[in-house]
Amino acid sequence: MLPQWSVSRTWIVFSSLFAICNAFSDMESGPGSAATQTNGDGFKIEGRAVVPGVKAQDWISTARVLVEGEEYVGFFRTDGSFAVNDVPSGGSYVVEIVSPVYRFEPVRVDISSKGKMRARLVNYIKTSEVVRQPYPLQMRSNGPHSYFMKRETWGWTDFLMNPMVMMMVLPLLIIVLLPKVVNTNDPEMRREMEQSMNMLNPNHELPDVSEFMTKLFSSKSSGKSGGGGKGGKSGALKRR
Amino acid sequence: MANFSAWVTLFFHLFYFSSAVFEDQVGKFDWRQQYVGEVRFAYFDAPSQASKKLLLATEKNIIASLNSRTGDLFWRQVDKAGPEGHIDILLVHGQDAVMVVGNGRLLRSWETNIGGLNWEVVLDTGSFQSAGLVGMQDSVKYVSVLKKSAISLHYLSNGHQKWVENLPDSDTVQYQAVYSGGSGEVYVLGVVPHSHLAIVAYNIEDGEIMKQTSVEAPWLSSLSSCVVVGTGVLMCVDSVSLYTLPLQSEEPAEMNQILLQSLGLEVAAGFQPVLVSTQPHPARSPLSEFFLRLGPDHHILLQLKDGIISPLRNFQPAILVSFATTGEKTVAAVMSPVNDTACSITLFSADSGRRLLDTSVIFHLDPNGGKPLRLHVHAFLKKDDSVGYRVLVQSEDHALTFLQQPGRVLWTREEALAEVVTMEMVDLPLTGTQAELEGEFGKKADGLLPMVLKRLSSQLILLQAWIAHLWKLFYDARKPRSQVKNEVTIETLARDEFNLQKMMVMVTASGKLFGIDSKSGTVLWKHYLQNVQPNAAFKLMVQRTTAHFPHPPQCTLLIKDKETGLGSLHVFNPIFGKKSHITPPVLPRPVLQSLLLPLMDQDYAKVLLLIDDQYKVTAFPSTKHVLQLLQEVASSIFFYLVDSSQGRLSGFRLRKDLSTELIWEVVIPTEVQRIVAVKGKRANEHVHSQGRVMGDRSVLYKYLNPNLLAVVTESTDLHQERSFVGIFLVDGVTGRIIHEAVQRKARGPVRCVHSENWVVYEYWNTKSRRNEFSVLELFEGTELYNSTVFSSLDRPHLPQVLQQSYIFPSPISTMEATLTEKGITSRHLLVGLPSGAILSLPKMFLDPRRPEILSEQSREENLIPYAPELPIRTEWFVNYNQTVSRVRGIYTAPSGLESTCLVVAYGLDIYQTRVYPSKQFDVLKDDYDYVLISSVLIGLFFATMISKRLAQVKLLNRAWR
Repeated sequence: MLPQWSVSRTWIVFSSLFAICNAFSDMESGPGSAATQTNGDGFKIEGRAVVPGVKAQDWISTARVLVEGEEYVGFFRTDGSFAVNDVPSGGSYVVEIVSPVYRFEPVRVDISSKGKMRARLVNYIKTSEVVRQPYPLQMRSNGPHSYFMKRETWGWTDFLMNPMVMMMVLPLLIIVLLPKVVNTNDPEMRREMEQSMNMLNPNHELPDVSEFMTKLFSSKSSGKSGGGGKGGKSGALKRR
Repeated sequence: MANFSAWVTLFFHLFYFSSAVFEDQVGKFDWRQQYVGEVRFAYFDAPSQASKKLLLATEKNIIASLNSRTGDLFWRQVDKAGPEGHIDILLVHGQDAVMVVGNGRLLRSWETNIGGLNWEVVLDTGSFQSAGLVGMQDSVKYVSVLKKSAISLHYLSNGHQKWVENLPDSDTVQYQAVYSGGSGEVYVLGVVPHSHLAIVAYNIEDGEIMKQTSVEAPWLSSLSSCVVVGTGVLMCVDSVSLYTLPLQSEEPAEMNQILLQSLGLEVAAGFQPVLVSTQPHPARSPLSEFFLRLGPDHHILLQLKDGIISPLRNFQPAILVSFATTGEKTVAAVMSPVNDTACSITLFSADSGRRLLDTSVIFHLDPNGGKPLRLHVHAFLKKDDSVGYRVLVQSEDHALTFLQQPGRVLWTREEALAEVVTMEMVDLPLTGTQAELEGEFGKKADGLLPMVLKRLSSQLILLQAWIAHLWKLFYDARKPRSQVKNEVTIETLARDEFNLQKMMVMVTASGKLFGIDSKSGTVLWKHYLQNVQPNAAFKLMVQRTTAHFPHPPQCTLLIKDKETGLGSLHVFNPIFGKKSHITPPVLPRPVLQSLLLPLMDQDYAKVLLLIDDQYKVTAFPSTKHVLQLLQEVASSIFFYLVDSSQGRLSGFRLRKDLSTELIWEVVIPTEVQRIVAVKGKRANEHVHSQGRVMGDRSVLYKYLNPNLLAVVTESTDLHQERSFVGIFLVDGVTGRIIHEAVQRKARGPVRCVHSENWVVYEYWNTKSRRNEFSVLELFEGTELYNSTVFSSLDRPHLPQVLQQSYIFPSPISTMEATLTEKGITSRHLLVGLPSGAILSLPKMFLDPRRPEILSEQSREENLIPYAPELPIRTEWFVNYNQTVSRVRGIYTAPSGLESTCLVVAYGLDIYQTRVYPSKQFDVLKDDYDYVLISSVLIGLFFATMISKRLAQVKLLNRAWR
């Protein structure tokens, strides 16, 4: 148990060291400039693409592998594997699988000037960040593209679950149904209800907030309302 | 932070709905046509009548499999454009199609049923010469590839190299052909021009040189005049004689010369005779019968038997010949002209020259098309053992026509449309009745009563047309749906009520013009311009629209030869495609610039000015009225010229005598940077709002200079640390540089859109290795200098320029902005991606006022907080899975509806659709729920009726109480 553990740990250390080295060499080398393209000794980017549950021959005829836009183009073999030939060394390339039906995540492949290859996740914002991916590339589709919007369909459930409708319907139900369910004429029931009200409002000494507010406002506007009352009275008088 | 992210998600949801396609809209108003380009190689799958597959390889580096019954694509594989993807040769054996790509760079084998690769191998360097299938004992196992200095043999099953051998004396001998006739040898034929012929025979098994001979041939310059006939006899031809040489003979032989005169043959004057032979199976020797072409319309079928050449049949006139094999029979198809508009194709037995009965097919020549160029014959044995055939005729104008016996055209493909260069959309004309109504206003008034009568009569005609329309609707409704055909013909073309249907006038690189109905994609007219150079540049202008009824609409195409710069004009009617009777001016000098003025002559045709290399101006039309008009306004007509080789931009003004004077000049030194693009604004663009209302209720006015030019430059130094992209905003009238921006560590190709008060451009960031978008927006400030009219000569203040840049997570192919009738609808950028998708990116994402920190004011302005990366959502792809391969241009046109913009994307394919950048705000949506709204209304109506009745009853009851 113990030796195995240590072995795996050293492996991790090594691989991370390797990644760091590559990242440094990577910073020096730019994309495929004109000078590197002409010398002709190109490298091959290889890999395989899988669409879960779909046979390769059903989707490869509409799919292509694009490296840096349409800079280099690769096609699929009948088993779903691909190879893009004549890619110059000393560069970093975004490899994309384009298919009108299935979606694939792009991968960045770095080729050092000595021809060492490595694949990592594409990150346009932190361009030097390295999250290793397997090489030769293993591309797995994460489902079909979603091109279309769902139409908003009208259904009873949508209508009823609308908060506005709920706000209207629920009080209505309470107003209509509650008096019928609870027999208010029954004295026992009435007593019970009063008790429960008392439970909710335990100390009678404290004035109710709402009561307090109504008192406050009614005292303020008493003058006005009095005036209104007068007007009403005079109108009533006239009518008589 | 939570608040921020909530806002972001809210915005995303807003846009989520802004420009997406619903699934039920598929194919409702959009269509796509897929093309493959000019055909180089065509093979039919199997010599049986039921076979449907046709394999094509084209000049556009495409291999495709077509359904030969319908002309539709089974599959298509698009390689890289340019010489690196060029298909050198296509060889078909069974289900495998082997091709050599990129001047001998790659050898590929395709599985023709699936459309996938069997294998692909990289070949050694060296320029490609020839390739052939190699067979032994009736089975084909290898493919041989001949390069300039080496020959290699590969297994057909996996592409592995069996052997490769250097060719002897390859520095003096030009090896051009490879031949194998089923024996165990591969012959490589080379020539030293005007000296001798070299023949090298290799053993198939190990690549050992079996024999090497050299034959004197001082008259021979190239092996293109030679073929192999019969059991390995090389046959060559020059203008006076035929030469034969048996390849397999042991002793060093000499070429046997046979004078054409001795056969009673004569070559047409100035014609280089051509030999055509056929090798039905690569593992067997070619047939001993062959064609000799003696003149443009003279062919002769000859036979080589025991070293003696004898004529079998003379074909005159015959413009095209082709061999085809089915089973053991080989036939020759001969196309001969019948009259000016038709040709007949007839089959002849190859071994006897006898004419086969009932095999004539009439091929009608399109008077607006090109001449037939090649025949591809699919011969098969019928049930009664006679030979039947179908034939693919390839024309000069890249059209493919597939004919079946007896003379029925199964399909035609206009492959010229694979390379659309430029296009315009023209409004359709009004219908006859609408025109009648319109015409009433144009005429001179002649009294009250006749006017009333005329009005009544035209109303009557309208009523009649309406009743006829109703009757047609009723009549069609009774028929089953499948029988009702909505065929579009030129006669039935009429503008619809929202002007959504237009005529697309497309100009292709081959010089063929097309008129396509934008609603259905039907080609309504085509016109082939015969004498257009292959590298010509085109500019299409609409001189008169359909709005001026009695005058026909008029388009003018300026065709300019790129090398000499000499131009010519083709004037035509865009609705019918007919050449106009107006004679355009002859242009004796190279044309530098053309400009279409908003001025019109008395026939409502806009005036076109053409400036030649001596800065003299030619006007078209050039009537007296136009010249007078030009004299009046000459002082306010300015134009600019760009000389990118010298980095010079210069502005000119027109003088009264149609000469010009130089006003300004801007020189951008070519040692440092070169001009790659100059973009003005579109002439038919409208801007609705003069400014933007800010969060604090003040207005930021846009700088709307119609004369503004965006000049894009790229550095000549391509080193990634020092390369840059520059953009200059120059006033086209005064030459004043309004703004200048430099993007360091960037390189092209730069795509640029210039519209309203903004410029959006895209470039490659060499440091971070990603594509970036940058947007420049120009504002006058919170006050307008002169709000009524814009003059370039009177603008003392420079505009405020705002700029922001974003990361775009994909390379792009092309870019265009949407355009609507009045400019009220918000703008979107249509971005063509290499994957073939067309992304509709809201301009709101490219707004330099996007704040980094969201404030109350920016929230009120609906500004999206800045994010470095622009999103690409597949819901924004306006063409969903209908990808447009190699999209080269996007054309946008306004429709009669403000919300709707018509979009045509062209490249290898053509895709037409409509986009609604701000949703359909001016018409009811097509998913509008008529049932729900009417049921609610009816329900409410009945509810009121019932409750009224109930209330009445209640009142009555109360009154009784």
